[in-house]
Amino acid sequence: MNTFTSLITLLIFPAGLSLVLVGMFYEWVDRKLVARFQNRVGPRWFQPFADALKLFAKEQIRPAIVNPYLFFGLPVAALAGALTAALYVPLMGLSPASSFPGDLIVTIYLLSLPTMCVGLAGWNTSGRFSLIGATRTLTQLFAYEAPFLLAMLGPALVAGSWQINTINRFTQDHWLILTQPVGFIVALIGLMGKLELPPFDAPEAETEIVAGALTEYSGRGLAMFKISRSVELIIGLSLVSSFYLGGLNGIPSFLFKSLALLLVMSVLQVLLTRLRIDQTVGLWWRFGAILVLAQLLVMILWKGLAL
Amino acid sequence: MNSIWAVHFNSGSCNGCDIEILATLTPRYDVERFGIKLQGSPRHADVLIVTGPVTRQARERLIRTYEQMPEPKFVISVGSCSISGGVFEGCYNCVGSVDAVIPVDVFIPGCPPRPEAIIDGIVQLLTELKGGKARTPQKQNIAEEIST
Repeated sequence: MNTFTSLITLLIFPAGLSLVLVGMFYEWVDRKLVARFQNRVGPRWFQPFADALKLFAKEQIRPAIVNPYLFFGLPVAALAGALTAALYVPLMGLSPASSFPGDLIVTIYLLSLPTMCVGLAGWNTSGRFSLIGATRTLTQLFAYEAPFLLAMLGPALVAGSWQINTINRFTQDHWLILTQPVGFIVALIGLMGKLELPPFDAPEAETEIVAGALTEYSGRGLAMFKISRSVELIIGLSLVSSFYLGGLNGIPSFLFKSLALLLVMSVLQVLLTRLRIDQTVGLWWRFGAILVLAQLLVMILWKGLAL
Repeated sequence: MNSIWAVHFNSGSCNGCDIEILATLTPRYDVERFGIKLQGSPRHADVLIVTGPVTRQARERLIRTYEQMPEPKFVISVGSCSISGGVFEGCYNCVGSVDAVIPVDVFIPGCPPRPEAIIDGIVQLLTELKGGKARTPQKQNIAEEIST
C-alpha cells in the first residue's frame, strides 16, 4: 500500500503527470499574456500540449560526433531533476509530498540541474551555436544562482528553519514582501534568469545564436527540455509565492498568487529588452547580490538586537 | 497537427517575399494563434518556407537545410520565382524552381504574395494533413546527388 501511494505521488499527483500538465497550462498563460501585451490574439489554450505531442512524434536526429549516452541521457536527467524538486515544494498549495530539515538547499540544487543539463547538452553537441549557447547558459547560472539562493535565505532566517514546509507555515501569517522587499525583487528576477525569459534570454537569443545550447536537439530531447523548463516555472513560482506572498494554503491561494506573479513576470518580459551576457552578470553581482547581502546583514543585526 | 514550426530559407530571392513573410509574423497577422512559430534551427522545424529561384550557390545549402530537418517535414514555396524561376528563369546562375531541387508540398503564387495568401497556403497544408492526404515522406537520397 505504501509503495503504491508513493508511486502515485511520484508519477501522477502532485509530481509527475499533473505537474507537467499544470506547467504547460502556465506556459500557455505566459504566452497568451505576452501576446495580449503585444496587441496580438495569442496561441490557443492547447498550444503547449500540441507542441509537446508533435515533438514527441517527430524523428530525433543524432549528430554524428556526439556521445550518444550523454545526448539521450541529458534530457531525461533534466526532466527528472525538475520533477524531483517538485516533491519538496508546496505545489498547488498542498503540503509537500516529502519533507526533511534542509530540503530548501536540495530543492535549489535540483532546480539548477536542468540548466546544467542544457549546458552539458550544448557542449556535447559541439556545434558553434550550441557551444556559445552553452557557455552563456553556464555563465548565467553562475550569475543568478548566488543572489537567488541568498534571496531564498531571507525567509529561511526569519522563520528559523531550512525546511520549506516550516517556512511556508510561518509565512502564512507574515507577508514577507512587506518586510523584505529587496529579497522579493531579487528572487523574482532570479527566477526570470533561471527560466531564461527576456531580458535574460541571451543564452537562447534566436537573433544571434539560433537556439543556443539546444540548436541540435530535435524531437523527444527537445520536448523533454521544454517540459522541464515549464515544470521549473511552476516550482519557482510556488517557491517565491510561498516565501514572500503570505504562504500557500490551498489551491485557490496557489492559483491567485502564482498567476499574479506570472502577470508581473510577463509584463517585465514585454517591457525589457535583452541584456548582453556581461550586463546580466554585472547586474546580478553588482546590484542583486550586494542588495540581498545588505538586507541579510540588517536582518541578522535586527535578530541579534532583539534577542 | 496544430503546431507548425517553420524555418525560412532564402534561396536567391529579391527580398520581396521575405518581407511579406516577416509581415505575416507581425502582430497584425499574428500566426501564433494558429500555432505557427518561426524557429531559427532547422532541427526544430516542421516546415521549410523557401523564397526565390534556386541559384547555383544556394542549391547545396537548400538541400543541406532540407536534410537537417527531422521527419515528418514539409516544404512551402512562396512566390512566383520559387514556383517557376520567375523573371530569373534561364539566368546563367539559376537552377530554376524549388521543386527541381527538393520535393514541395504547397505552392503560393504571387509577386510577392500577400500575407493573407501565405496564411491561406499554410492552412491548406494543414487541412490536407487533417484529411489524411499527407504525402508519404519521399526519402530520396539527395545527399548522394550533391556529391555527383
